[in-house]
Amino acid sequence: MAIIDVKNLTKTYYTYRRGSGFTAVLKSFFRRERVCVNAVQDVSFQVEEGEIAGILGPNGAGKSTTIKMLTGSLYPTSGYISVMGYTPYRDRKTYVNHIGAVFGQKSQLIWDIPPIDSFHMNKAIYSIPDKEFRKTLDELTGMFGLEDVIEKPTRVLSLGERMKCEFVMAMLHRPKIVFLDEPTIGLDVIAKQRIRSFIREMNRHGVTFILTTHDLEDVEQLARKVIIINHGKKVFDDTLQNLKMNLGAKKIIRLVLTKPMAEIKLGGIKVIEKNSDFEYTLEVSLENSSINTVVKQLAEMCEFSDISIKELPMEKIITEIYENKDVQ
Amino acid sequence: MLKKYLLIYFECIKISVSTAITYRLNFLLDNFIMIVSNILFPLVTLLIYGSGAEFPGWSLYEVLLIQAVFTMSTAVANIFFNGLLWATMHHVIDGSLEIVLIKPVDCLFYLIASTVDFSSTSLLIGGIIMFAVALSHVGAVTALMVLQFIVLFLAGVCVMMGISLIMAATSFKWVGNSRLPEIFNSIKYFGRYPQNIFPKAISAFTSFIIPVAMIGYFPAAALLGEADVTAFAIILPCLAFTAAGVLLFRHMVHLYEGVGG
Repeated sequence: MAIIDVKNLTKTYYTYRRGSGFTAVLKSFFRRERVCVNAVQDVSFQVEEGEIAGILGPNGAGKSTTIKMLTGSLYPTSGYISVMGYTPYRDRKTYVNHIGAVFGQKSQLIWDIPPIDSFHMNKAIYSIPDKEFRKTLDELTGMFGLEDVIEKPTRVLSLGERMKCEFVMAMLHRPKIVFLDEPTIGLDVIAKQRIRSFIREMNRHGVTFILTTHDLEDVEQLARKVIIINHGKKVFDDTLQNLKMNLGAKKIIRLVLTKPMAEIKLGGIKVIEKNSDFEYTLEVSLENSSINTVVKQLAEMCEFSDISIKELPMEKIITEIYENKDVQ
Repeated sequence: MLKKYLLIYFECIKISVSTAITYRLNFLLDNFIMIVSNILFPLVTLLIYGSGAEFPGWSLYEVLLIQAVFTMSTAVANIFFNGLLWATMHHVIDGSLEIVLIKPVDCLFYLIASTVDFSSTSLLIGGIIMFAVALSHVGAVTALMVLQFIVLFLAGVCVMMGISLIMAATSFKWVGNSRLPEIFNSIKYFGRYPQNIFPKAISAFTSFIIPVAMIGYFPAAALLGEADVTAFAIILPCLAFTAAGVLLFRHMVHLYEGVGG
């Protein structure tokens, strides 16, 4: 059953272009040019109950605008949104009782006091009974190992600890749906993993998650459904498996060589950038081999002082989707 | 519902006190600065009367009474709702009002409650002391006068709230303009003088348009036995002014929901 149903969602707003450079700025002081921004255009999708759906897209694609409309904090210009039978922007005050949200770049914790006091604030806001609050809090802090952390002032916590507390804050009232806007932004690998395993665990308990990210790894490790938005338009809406099948398994390898090489030739490898005879960026297709084999082959072929393996960047994925007409 | 809102307010007060205790020195310094910066003004009145000059028809203690009421009203406003302007400005600049909007609570209430700040406690105490001293020199006060004073004082607090709301609402449009409070403060200061020293046009403005006279002058006049029907009639523009503030603020939040920061 679809818990989220979005049809032809559009968000348009006007802003002023100020221009760059002194003359343009001076001109804008007298006359400003009004520009129409189509943040989200005709986007439709559905999310099933108990699913983890990833909304992917480069910066400024319209992901956050979509999330804001889904949480009810932004009116759509047109279109239909139904979340658990509520129209978020119209039924906001009742609706938000049933949702949680974590914004990677905006904190809900109160800066000067320990997270536990912020949690008590949410207890009052969501009218959580004492017993239930204690139980949920123990459960959530236990999962993250935050027992000692929640007593320290928020300002002294590390970013990772703070993000974990943000998750606890968002889950205290046991929401059915949780919206995550760039939840792992700026975190180190270990903190990212802790948060991802927390999301998986909560999902096993039936919580539906919608997450926006430009980190493909978040989606790979969590989401079953992927929606890709670019320039406000939906360019892909299917399972992660189908996305992978369409793109083929690809990785990006960056190599810094100790001895110069005029070119690197190997099956399944494409040079996408060459800064000098010492620095290469390669796109590796892993359809017929593993990353292990490729690294081994590279080690035999050349000597390198540094190697990094990365996911395909978002822009590249979108270009490939556009090029592959069969995807949609 | 009321119980929920009371609980939230209680939590907010707890948080404000915790924050004040965390930054003890800052809290004490804030309190000290607040009283010093506000107490200078009655000192000017003392100097005026000390040099033999006066506000025509007003004794020193009568003027001090008006200024004491104004000081108390300022302190109450600072403690309970003046933080709204800075909180709103901060949220609008950061585009973070969503954090408040995703909570199942009235946005305006939450912003006011979460900015309760006790840095003006010293000012309130100072105001009360000044009030007591001035009152002891102005003659007998009846129970009816006290009742009239309370009603008019509350109306004055409403005006203070209206000003706070209008300032906060305008900060949605003129993002980060810290000059706005200065304009409103200048208008507010008309409320701390006897109103009959002003030309008719000004006292009409301070009574009916932006009724700042209700902040200091009219409640004090009640204690001096000079509150007439006009004083009570002005409660109406005071309430209308506050209501206008609430409506304007809500309208701006609505606009914010339309563009999202």
